[in-house]
Amino acid sequence: MPDPIFLVLSAVVVVSAIAALEARELIYGAVGLAFSLIGVAGIFLLLGEEYLAMFQIAVYVGAVVVLIMFTIMLVRRDSGRPAEEEEPGRLGRAGAFVAGLIALAIAAAMYLVIPYSAEMPILSEISLHDLGRTLASGYALALVILGLLIGATAVGALTLAKIEPEEERGGAA
Amino acid sequence: MNGLIAIPTLQELLNYIVGILTSRTFLEMIIFPGFLNIMLGAAFLVWLERKLIARVQLRIGPLYAGMWGILQPVADGVKLLFKEMIFPELADKKVLILGALALMMLAVAPVVPIPFGEGFVIADMNIGLLYVFAVISLFPTVILLIGWGSNSKYSLLGGLRSMFQQVAYEVPMWLSVLGIVMLTGTLNLTEIVKAQQKVWFIVPEVLGFAVFFTAILAELERIPFDLPEAETELVMGWMTELSGVAFMVGFLAMYTKVYVMSALMTALFLGGWSGPSVIPQPVWFLAKTFLVASVMVIIRGTFPRVRVDILLKAAWGRLLLLALANVFVTAGLIWLGLGGIWKV
Repeated sequence: MPDPIFLVLSAVVVVSAIAALEARELIYGAVGLAFSLIGVAGIFLLLGEEYLAMFQIAVYVGAVVVLIMFTIMLVRRDSGRPAEEEEPGRLGRAGAFVAGLIALAIAAAMYLVIPYSAEMPILSEISLHDLGRTLASGYALALVILGLLIGATAVGALTLAKIEPEEERGGAA
Repeated sequence: MNGLIAIPTLQELLNYIVGILTSRTFLEMIIFPGFLNIMLGAAFLVWLERKLIARVQLRIGPLYAGMWGILQPVADGVKLLFKEMIFPELADKKVLILGALALMMLAVAPVVPIPFGEGFVIADMNIGLLYVFAVISLFPTVILLIGWGSNSKYSLLGGLRSMFQQVAYEVPMWLSVLGIVMLTGTLNLTEIVKAQQKVWFIVPEVLGFAVFFTAILAELERIPFDLPEAETELVMGWMTELSGVAFMVGFLAMYTKVYVMSALMTALFLGGWSGPSVIPQPVWFLAKTFLVASVMVIIRGTFPRVRVDILLKAAWGRLLLLALANVFVTAGLIWLGLGGIWKV
């Protein structure tokens, strides 16, 4: 019998992921996504990965979902609703059937390949010092490259957002 | 006993319930650093704000309910409880009510790892600081939802303003406490307070404190950063369409956030519970917390509201640089060998 907390969290993740896809209002979809990501953070906590869980919440829910919601707000409210529900046709049903088969196959393969154990593998608790030392020594190159990437992204975003002087005089303050 | 299941007697059941009700964890959650403390603190802050702001403006403020009008928040609460909840026809009622409740939950949640005294902490987490910031980063989502669900232009504008303001000020807020983490080497708030027994962090981290205080003012949407509310242009911002109990919960949630953030600032920069032991530790902590909150109130009475472009320029152009400078200053302190003062 797996951990009941794990079962509850998995249910939250799966149900809210489906809700995120199926929601009629885009904004409810974003909320479903947020709940799904929080559920994943809960599973990380269950595995003893505290830092990962907290950054999952802060980065994915606190930043990514907020940006998605912001985009939804900027489009008009009516355009969020689908014009009319279309009945899935013959092809659609066949597609759903094939997708279900593939999902089942993946699940079966994972069940066969990954040895199942009822006990969650609790990883050893990592201290802040260890985390910092590992990042700054073993993964120093990756860290620097990531930093450069983020820096380049920031510069690119600033270039895109820059208002040309002519435009500014034109009244677009 | 008949059968396999032992049916507990009434006595056992009562003992069990009383045992849970009097256990330290439960009492901590319900009474002292937990629920009752936060609710009373937030209600007290509502009164403190009205009284202090009245003094700044040479008025008297609440006077008749109780001594010095201290029961005014209670009277307001009772009034709002009996008010009808009115929502616009096209508003999303579910989102408004659930959003107000979620706001309250988020406002209360960061108190869990904050130590109000040695041992007066609900859960002594190793990742306490990270947890608090992760919870704070969820606020814009809920506020944006309320603003959208109201289906009113004032609410939506308020929600959008709140979102970009909070997202922008989160970055300097995270960076400004980096110095403390560098000096102590831990994210545990209890240990951060213990590291300040000799010298409070406001001394070496004065730059970090200034950045953190400003960022928190913006996160709390208080004057001079109250653009999301801006009563002269947006009525009440994203709270415009909340009414009755929903308004009470949302309003109290914002004051709860003020209280909890003041407590966080006390723990991080003002030495937490440390002080001469004549006065018990929690009293020191609460005194410092309300001092921080009073400074925020006096700032409200003193400064005008900033413009939107200045608000964003200040976050990305000034505060970010100051927070980075603070990291270098802290690194310099450690390089000079002064870091040992704050080692746990």
